Amino acid sequence: MSLDVYYFTEMPYHYIDDELAEQWPSLRLTFPNSYFDPNKATDLFKRYLDEFQYAEEAGFQGLMINEHHNTPSCMDVEVNITGGILSRLTSKVKILMLGNMLPTSDNPPRLAEEIAMLDVISGGRIVSGFVRGIGVESWANNTNPVYNRERFEECHDLIIKTWATPGPFRWEGKHYQYRAVNPWMLPVQKPHPPVWVPGTGSPETVEWAVKHRYTYAAFLTELTRAKQLFGSYREQARAAGWEAGPDKFAFMICAHANETDEKAQESGKAFMWRMGHPLKGPREYWAPPGYFSQAGVAANAARRQKPMNEMTYEELQDHNHLVVGSPDTVIKKLRHIKEELGIGSLLLETQGGPLSHEDTMRSIKLMGEEVIPALQD
Amino acid sequence: MVAFTEEIVDVGGTKVHTLKGGSGEPLLLLHGAGGNNGWLKSIDALAEKYTVYYPSHPGYGKSDRPDWLETIPDMACFYNWYLETLGLEGIRTIGFSMGGWIASEIAAMCNHSFSKMMLVGAVGIKPNEGEIADLFIISPAQVLDLMFHDPAQAPEYQAVYGREFTPEEMMTAEGNREMAVRLCWKPYMHDPRLSSLLQRVNMPTRMVWGRNDQIVPVECGELYKKAIRGSDLVVIDNCGHSPQVEKPDEFIKTALDFLA
Repeated sequence: MSLDVYYFTEMPYHYIDDELAEQWPSLRLTFPNSYFDPNKATDLFKRYLDEFQYAEEAGFQGLMINEHHNTPSCMDVEVNITGGILSRLTSKVKILMLGNMLPTSDNPPRLAEEIAMLDVISGGRIVSGFVRGIGVESWANNTNPVYNRERFEECHDLIIKTWATPGPFRWEGKHYQYRAVNPWMLPVQKPHPPVWVPGTGSPETVEWAVKHRYTYAAFLTELTRAKQLFGSYREQARAAGWEAGPDKFAFMICAHANETDEKAQESGKAFMWRMGHPLKGPREYWAPPGYFSQAGVAANAARRQKPMNEMTYEELQDHNHLVVGSPDTVIKKLRHIKEELGIGSLLLETQGGPLSHEDTMRSIKLMGEEVIPALQD
Repeated sequence: MVAFTEEIVDVGGTKVHTLKGGSGEPLLLLHGAGGNNGWLKSIDALAEKYTVYYPSHPGYGKSDRPDWLETIPDMACFYNWYLETLGLEGIRTIGFSMGGWIASEIAAMCNHSFSKMMLVGAVGIKPNEGEIADLFIISPAQVLDLMFHDPAQAPEYQAVYGREFTPEEMMTAEGNREMAVRLCWKPYMHDPRLSSLLQRVNMPTRMVWGRNDQIVPVECGELYKKAIRGSDLVVIDNCGHSPQVEKPDEFIKTALDFLA
């Protein structure tokens, strides 16, 4: 059974050390942007984009990009910009945008035409992920968290209609109203690019993904929890009269390969940066009042026994949030995950934190030459 | 202590949980963003002179939330309907914090709803100098810290805030917070048109503020005074955002003087 492997990095601005980070409640939202040096960021972007380009050459089937705001942990502030760059820098890979934050958008037809434009420029290689945005994004964009899910759903419905229904048409919704939805730019893929949705445990998201037959991507979730979520998806699909194949399931994990286990264990420590301060912060930052339903709150409690930022390097590996090793070790671990979960796509955060260009390029090369081919049987 | 009852007022199908007690002319109390704290000493004192109606706002506590109700002006429409349902008109009111905003929206919308209005640490008008503290981005414990100048001088502090809460009470508090976010997220805790609309209010109005209010600056009380003709502002020294809990005796005195 084949497996699509995606290369992913959040393009971190990793020059914030623990000592500095500890002086603030979180690296997110309110960490002062006076610590940002745009010239350093220019060099980082150049490097990260080169690495994305090399990942295609090395044999990844796809590239994944995401978006966050007010945080050094992710310099990608607009997936559609990065999507545009990658559309031209690459020629074969799928470009998975996971994704556009729908609730914080005030202009769904504009989003629809931007994504359509990327699909046109890339020749139909866009996978359009739609996300609710973590709680921090509600603050950063000042979008009422109580309406997060409502806006997500209405924004989605309008985008899909914009893509799949000939214009012009009117839209008089609760959160969005338009007189003439009729963008000239429409996607190459018909009726529209594949839609993916990420989840970390909210039962409503699984239900929504099943309803639309979208691919559900579990993000940094315990294997047992991911199994439950995928199981729930399969059951609900069956109840609705269809069978969910591996193409409906994706799993995101940090992964690092080096020539030997010893070397990998040493260089892989760079991932501890992204597992540390970027995941800390007051509860209200992550879960503004009204952002989670009561069911979501319960699901969060069940999600993992210990927060990732409290886990040791070894525990992160034991809990399958991070896979580190020689190609053989990485193959063994990823194969186990593939078989356990029955997934069709694996999303590998291969660059993380201060992992150097050299270590990143080597890891990409080993993944492409040895790991990815071995996961195709 | 004055006996009070719990009543359900049906307003167009929305059930509003209302505490009612006392005797005399009616007095409507409108609670703040945190919810209805129950029959405290200051409310009891008011009930000795007036028939107190103390509802939990729609979406708060045991009251229903109609789907359409999403803003403070919606809330003002709703309360006009509530008063009409109870056959009340031209009555006295006291609005606390967010409840003060609701009261002033009602007054601006419908001049004959109230005969006298008292606003206590009310939000609703954006201060020019300071800021209204963002209560949504901090924890409930941090909100509580900001509420009082000196909790030790609030006789009912322990009984109301210092005890263990049941899971049910925690759920209610979370639900109340969510409702406050629904109503007051953006623009945060104010309505840019309110100062202009308040010019048409023609009833006796008094603002009461704690000098040391860390949530809504005293400046907001001054802006209310400027906006409402003939109103006055009473500032209580060494007192935070909730004079009715922190300095109940002074609060009761100024309230009864004004309402008489």
